[in-house]
Amino acid sequence: MTMDRKTIASALGESSLTDTGIGSIDYQAVAVMPDVRVVKIGGQSIMDRGRAALFPILEEIVACRKQGIQVLLLAGGGTRARHIYSVASELELPTGVLAKLGSYVPIQNARMLQMLLAKHGGIFISVDDFEKLPLYMQLGCIPIMNGMPPFGYWEKRGDDGRIPPHRTDAGVFLSAEFLGCTRAIFIKDEDGLYTDDPKKKPDAELIRRISAGELLARDLPDLIVERVCVEYLPRARWLRELQVVNGLRPGEVTRALHGEDNGTIITR
Amino acid sequence: MSKLVTGDGRTHVESSLMRESLQDRDVLGRTDSDHDLQIFPDVALVSIGGQSIFDRGREALLPLADELAGLMKRHRLVIGVGGGTRVRHTASIALDLGLPVGGIAQLVGAMEELNAIMLNALLSRHGAMTMQRDHFWDLPLYLNSGITPICISIPPYHLWEPPPEEGNLPAHGSDFGLFQLADVLAFKQLIYVKDVDGMYDRDPKKDDGARLIRHATLDELTDAEGHLRQADSVLDKQLFWAWKRARNIKRIQIVNGLVRGQLTAALDGHDAGTVLVKE
Repeated sequence: MTMDRKTIASALGESSLTDTGIGSIDYQAVAVMPDVRVVKIGGQSIMDRGRAALFPILEEIVACRKQGIQVLLLAGGGTRARHIYSVASELELPTGVLAKLGSYVPIQNARMLQMLLAKHGGIFISVDDFEKLPLYMQLGCIPIMNGMPPFGYWEKRGDDGRIPPHRTDAGVFLSAEFLGCTRAIFIKDEDGLYTDDPKKKPDAELIRRISAGELLARDLPDLIVERVCVEYLPRARWLRELQVVNGLRPGEVTRALHGEDNGTIITR
Repeated sequence: MSKLVTGDGRTHVESSLMRESLQDRDVLGRTDSDHDLQIFPDVALVSIGGQSIFDRGREALLPLADELAGLMKRHRLVIGVGGGTRVRHTASIALDLGLPVGGIAQLVGAMEELNAIMLNALLSRHGAMTMQRDHFWDLPLYLNSGITPICISIPPYHLWEPPPEEGNLPAHGSDFGLFQLADVLAFKQLIYVKDVDGMYDRDPKKDDGARLIRHATLDELTDAEGHLRQADSVLDKQLFWAWKRARNIKRIQIVNGLVRGQLTAALDGHDAGTVLVKE
């Protein structure tokens, strides 16, 4: 009795698929949509402030879109996400369940953004609509989606507790990296990255520019973007910089969308 | 009762995480405990390898399907399937085209669906049904009706697959995907059916001197971070990284699906194949 594998000859042959080697293949990466600006609208930092914070930011985004800048918005969660994480942690629910729970609040926020931007071409998109981005961009639309990556129940527990390590900042990072963008933009309510939480430690110092390696080496107790973003940056193929800007200061969003180096730049 | 808190320009819902930075290690640490809620502790997950079993066709599949049909009557099972050689072909074409790692992750699930449909065709008269992998909240409905769900294995990271530490292929493969499913749901058993007698210290197909590991602890196999010490492994490396941090799964078995009875022995709680434990 023969018990051969019926294989298709290919460069990966019978190798284990999670091997790091790629055999004889000369990999030359193709950028998918490198001109898109992938932009996070913070949850706690922007959405939970309501109209006063959000409306001026949206005005700037709409004006930039009319100038031809392609913008993809990803929504953060905020205080309602913190509430569900808090209750679910008390119940000792696993990280994968928390990740699923955590995706509902950013979806609400994305829908709110869509209602506000509808008259300017705002479209709510789901993960499955991502492959239609070229259409939305060519029509001049502003697609808006949930910032949480779709890992859901498959989110791994991290080193620092039960909260999912990949949340809405990670979704911005990974969306930008997939599209082949060199920079991801995070709109928050601080001027950038500080040496500690500036809302609690008034003497925390602003860091204008720092490399991911330096930042990880400092081992700061707090960060303005999710730790996985800083950890992934050195091994990203396309992304070179993470930019954090203060959406509460007029003009900062516009400058960032035009490619200026305002706010904090975390470099590869 | 939760209440709304204002005064700093934001409107908060009162909770232990209110106003906190979720990047703050102390804050995150407060959410932790050594225990996760056990959601489905009486269910076993059996993984059927793509390359190792499905790609061998009827000679491997029919006897194994027969064995599974018997086991489905006695155990509350979920069956996961791999993709095999078609996944490797997909990835090699995608790499040649220069597609991003997330693009490759997006493509491979379809090749596993094919194996799920084929296995379902063999087992449906014994009460198997394909199930969308994230529909597991319906498990009581399936299992209490005597139905064994069959689902694909690859985790739904899709276009958002993180950049790998090395190389250009997705790091989160099928073995890892099923591990996560089993751990999140606190399944009582996790058994990988392959075409070798278990886990070896080197690839037994390439190296005659490879030694079969009958029993090992997670700490023996990995360093403090959860990186596998040996270069080659029959299971995804990400599985071990995740297992190091996981709370539920305490034992993983790898058995040879070409040897009749190994899977049965493992499901009945015997030490068939390789037994890996977390102490």
